[in-house]
Amino acid sequence: MGSQTAARTLPQRQARQRSWVRREGFGLVALVLLVIGIIGPISTVLLWSFAEQWRYPALFPTRWGVSYWAETLSRADIRQALPTSFIATLLVTLLSALICFPASYAFARLRFRGRQVLLLSYLITNALPRFGLYVSIAVVFFRLNLIGTLAGVVLIQLLNTLLLMIWIPTSAFQGVDRALEEAALDVGASPLRVFVQITLPQVYPALAAALLLTLVGTFYETYGALLIGVPRVLTIPVIMFPLINNQPVPQYGAILSLILFAPSTLLLVFANRLLRGGYLTAGLGV
Amino acid sequence: MNAIKAVVNREDAMRAMNDVNRRMKQRRRREAIGGYLLVAPPTILIVGLFFLPALQSFIRTITAGEAGAGGISFARYSGFFQSSIARSNLLFTFNITLTSIVILFAICFPIALYLRFSKSRIANWVLSIAMLPLFVPGIMSSYALIRFLRPRGMLMTMLNIFGLASFYATPYLKPLGIVIGLVWEGIPFTLLVLTAGLSQIGDAVIESARDVGASNWQVFLHILLPLIRRAALIAFCLNFIGNFGAYTIPYLLGPAAPQTMGVYMQQTLQGYQQPLDAETQAVITFAICLMIGLFYIRAIARSQQGREDIHG
Repeated sequence: MGSQTAARTLPQRQARQRSWVRREGFGLVALVLLVIGIIGPISTVLLWSFAEQWRYPALFPTRWGVSYWAETLSRADIRQALPTSFIATLLVTLLSALICFPASYAFARLRFRGRQVLLLSYLITNALPRFGLYVSIAVVFFRLNLIGTLAGVVLIQLLNTLLLMIWIPTSAFQGVDRALEEAALDVGASPLRVFVQITLPQVYPALAAALLLTLVGTFYETYGALLIGVPRVLTIPVIMFPLINNQPVPQYGAILSLILFAPSTLLLVFANRLLRGGYLTAGLGV
Repeated sequence: MNAIKAVVNREDAMRAMNDVNRRMKQRRRREAIGGYLLVAPPTILIVGLFFLPALQSFIRTITAGEAGAGGISFARYSGFFQSSIARSNLLFTFNITLTSIVILFAICFPIALYLRFSKSRIANWVLSIAMLPLFVPGIMSSYALIRFLRPRGMLMTMLNIFGLASFYATPYLKPLGIVIGLVWEGIPFTLLVLTAGLSQIGDAVIESARDVGASNWQVFLHILLPLIRRAALIAFCLNFIGNFGAYTIPYLLGPAAPQTMGVYMQQTLQGYQQPLDAETQAVITFAICLMIGLFYIRAIARSQQGREDIHG
């Protein structure tokens, strides 16, 4: 046995080393390109927000400073948009949890006719372009006088959250260990107690992931707020459009970008767990 | 005596069975009613805000023609296809969408394969950085790319260090700008789906293929590729739908003309105040994406069926 492996290892080990070098060589090249292509643009925004002056051939700002932060945050449109954004986001996430979590329990655990078709119908919202759909809804809202109201923006953003908030918890409820629940029922626990102490802890990470994704996603949802909210209810992403497009001062856009990015850092903290738990792919039905 | 007892026993048993059956049926009915009540709120929302508006849009575009009340007319649609601007915008959207998907797959496929076989620290870094765009708000990524790609932007500054700045032609406000933006935003999701597909293929399968003398290329062609067809299909469909109807990136990074369908619709609705024309454009965009979307839903429905079978 020992001599056999020894006889095989030398050329094998060389071949393996060669393939390792080739593989990690590719990895290194990919890493460098990704750093330039992905970190590059993000860091440019970061640098601009702390720049007082940045002339062309310089790789870094020619004068650093934070005076633009005060100027940006004291702009009237931004001071109005910040609370609007927060209120809309919280309302949407709360409402979405209220209607979606019980529904996803039903989709996963209760038997009723049409369950499969109803569950798949949420995917169709993903199978149509958002923007076209919002155009259709805007026409309806126009007649209901919901254009330019907070209620209109909340409704359209709520629609946007349904897929994630139903599919992620549904797949989590489906994965709950039924034997554990039955055992608890057998020893005399009440159904409520079983749900709170056995079922909930098992789906809790998925529910938290769905909530977190919805919270952040809604905070920077743009299309719906743009088509429904304008001109009276303006969220941060919506007021960014004019600031990006025809604004000689790049710092405004950079600082607003960072404000918008702030909730995302929350996601980044949990990124590893979100990705490893497969919650994102579950939310897309994969 | 015994015979009579047996009959009585059998009747008892029958009665008990019927009782159990009835109770089961009752329980099932209660379960179904509970189910319908729980799924009613989101269902009402999706019907009222999704299916009805989409249907109404379609109906309006075929009935509210110049001919007046009642008649069904496809004049708006023939009008769309007769307009050279609309046609070139539609074609442009197809080109942008397909080009960005081809580039996206060319980037993500090799990286996903690499991530499947490497457990090194480099692989961890590659994954982390590739996932970053997922956490960047759409409008921020557009802004970041503008500052990066524009003339005298970050990329040109970096090229300048190597004396290459004079060769740089900015893609900002050109069709390539849209493609770059869509690829940038699409990388995390595409990579996620492809790696999820690849991770379903066990090491044992690949090892045994290698043992019988399969080369890397053969392993890729005959084992990996067929097994991740579904993941690749899902990635293709969702990217197609997302890119075809995209708004922010084409609006901010693309040229003034031709426009992608997203920008065109918004212009028609809010710029020219022509809701019916905008709806016609929306319905055409829907129809194209729905065709692609059906592939996606079919793929998911199959896997969902598989999950049902496992969990009962």
